[in-house]
Amino acid sequence: MSGLRRVIAADLQRSRSHFLLASIGIVVGIATFTFFIALSQGVRAVVLGRIFPLDQLEVVPKSLDIAIGPLAIGTSTLGGDVIDDARVRQINALPGVETVYPKMRLTVPAIALGGESLLGADLRSEIVADGIEPALVAADVGAGFEFRDFDAEPGTPKACTTDDECGERRYCGAPAGTRLERKSRNDDTGRVPEGTATVCRDYVPVLASEHVVELYNGALRRAHGFPKLVPDSVLGFTFELVIGSSMVGASNKGHLVRERAMLVGFSRKSIALGLTIPLGYVRRLNVDFGQPEDAQRYHSVVVMVPNKNDVAAVAKGVSDLNLVVADTGAEQAALLIAIFTLIFALVSAVIVGIAAVNIMHVFFMLVYERQHEIGIMRAIGARRGDITRIIMGEAASLGFVSGLAGVALAFGASFGFDWISQTYVPDFPYKPETYFEFPWWLLLAALAFAVSFCILGAFLPARRAARMEPAAVLSGH
Amino acid sequence: MIRVRGMRKSYRTGKLVNEVLRGVDFEVDHGELVSIVGPSGSGKSTLLHAVGGLDRDYEGSIEVDGRDLRSLSDDALSDYRNRSVGFVFQSFYLLPHLTVLENVALPAVFTRGTQRLGDAAATARAREVLEQVELGARTDSTPTMLSGGQRQRVAIARALFNRPTLMLCDEPTGNLDSKMGAQILALFHALNRDAHITVMIVTHDSRISAATPRTLRVEDGALHDERRELGPPVPSAAVVPAAEAP
Repeated sequence: MSGLRRVIAADLQRSRSHFLLASIGIVVGIATFTFFIALSQGVRAVVLGRIFPLDQLEVVPKSLDIAIGPLAIGTSTLGGDVIDDARVRQINALPGVETVYPKMRLTVPAIALGGESLLGADLRSEIVADGIEPALVAADVGAGFEFRDFDAEPGTPKACTTDDECGERRYCGAPAGTRLERKSRNDDTGRVPEGTATVCRDYVPVLASEHVVELYNGALRRAHGFPKLVPDSVLGFTFELVIGSSMVGASNKGHLVRERAMLVGFSRKSIALGLTIPLGYVRRLNVDFGQPEDAQRYHSVVVMVPNKNDVAAVAKGVSDLNLVVADTGAEQAALLIAIFTLIFALVSAVIVGIAAVNIMHVFFMLVYERQHEIGIMRAIGARRGDITRIIMGEAASLGFVSGLAGVALAFGASFGFDWISQTYVPDFPYKPETYFEFPWWLLLAALAFAVSFCILGAFLPARRAARMEPAAVLSGH
Repeated sequence: MIRVRGMRKSYRTGKLVNEVLRGVDFEVDHGELVSIVGPSGSGKSTLLHAVGGLDRDYEGSIEVDGRDLRSLSDDALSDYRNRSVGFVFQSFYLLPHLTVLENVALPAVFTRGTQRLGDAAATARAREVLEQVELGARTDSTPTMLSGGQRQRVAIARALFNRPTLMLCDEPTGNLDSKMGAQILALFHALNRDAHITVMIVTHDSRISAATPRTLRVEDGALHDERRELGPPVPSAAVVPAAEAP
């Protein structure tokens, strides 16, 4: 240890009770700062990472709807709100855009049936679905599962009479696209045309949003007394889709298409409340129940913008194409989090600032108490800078130790907060395991913050100590 | 050599100005042992502090080995005090939280350049000077564990650490009993005689001044230079009052 550091260490040791009291404010301030910044980082990660992803924009056509009483009339109701392949190419050409994935909404009513194996009772639900390019969600598909348009693949399907003949994760059913005849508009079973041979089929792969599971676990399961679901454990769950049928009888179509579907993963990019399936299935169903031109009528496109700095320029480019970026609420959420962070950072800055004033008083007192020692150090050759370094060194050491204690206190408080949440707070959608994120820069910032304020507090006392005239303090003049 | 020319110094208290030194001149050669005497407030310590570079707020000039102290920067003056001057004060001014060894080695902390000693060398030098003042066995003690005389000897060891050419002592025996005072004075005589260190001692004690070959008497702002022939080396008992002699 160098001589100056030894002097600093000895001074810290003998004045430890003074420094202990002086450091309380810094410890509390740094703990407040670290705790709330970590909390806002954790909340930000959940809100902007899981609920409102920021690395992608969803672009939709500009809506010119006007409200007439409870009804909105305009382009959306007149069929004008679509994006075609030409528009997709234009968006793809915008600077900063990495990839564009068109999404096509299923414009046919449909219901889903099933669930007994999982929930103990069959559910029947009207569903909303959209189609998406498989490449967009490749990373979100569960291990061992596939998300692709099996029915678009060439080849003659294998004839069969039972599911066992088709192998794992396949079933024996009517060929793809088989139209079922309805006896009446209320018939949602339908009849396979006579002479239709059954073949081995792949399940329609389905992705769901974690919103669905969160909503189920947070609300629905309580209402119906169902078990809690863990997302990974429901992968492989199968159910039936009846397209063309609706729980609203008036919406039923003239024929039905029945498909079996399998849940293969969860994705942030899938529709929030509904099912997401490969684009090809939706395109064929929309054409089957609608017009040939429906094959390229997209309802939105997901625009991947890897660099956040490009987001504003891409949004402007999208606007120039007479399209708009869907309002996901991310901006408001980010703004709220930023305000929340700022308020608590200011609160902690005030606490640390007051503590710095206290530290200044303590150092003034210590400088007064030690004036003869400072005088003798000057007499034996200490320069003014040496005296400043000793005082500042003590302040920096105090700040560092206080900063460490503050960070440790924040860690402890965060563990306590998480434990209380896990133990006593009921589940709610997106309830995280931890509300906190402690990035490395936050820990460095907390220490730098503590050291800076202690040095700031000791600045004037150090200057006074350095300017003491040794002859005056040693002779009492 | 120390050369003081036309030195004036005054202290201001409110509107009252007290001129303690009114243009004093004197010289001190290498290896001299000089006492400075005078009534309280006459400017003895002021003179000593100025020669030691602790105070630059005066008129006139002080040259030490050809260097005008007032022309030196504050840092250069600090280096001058560190390398050339050893101070001994009445109140010892030891750092109470450091050991005897650390107190003695403290000047090494502030030495710069090639003369700076490493930790091991500084410790060795501190032990050496502590042996010189017969406190080699008390290196790990703290100042509060020592008697007044021992503390002053630690302060002298600290002053000797960087091998100064000039020792400036401000009432070095003022807080000691007569016997201890005599021992300390004998130590100064020995250092002056054996190490050829110039020693200047501010004192109230006429017995101490009588034991030095030269006395600078400060009275009414003026300086009177008195020289005397001393006999053989002064034994310690000579400065101890008869009543208090063991």
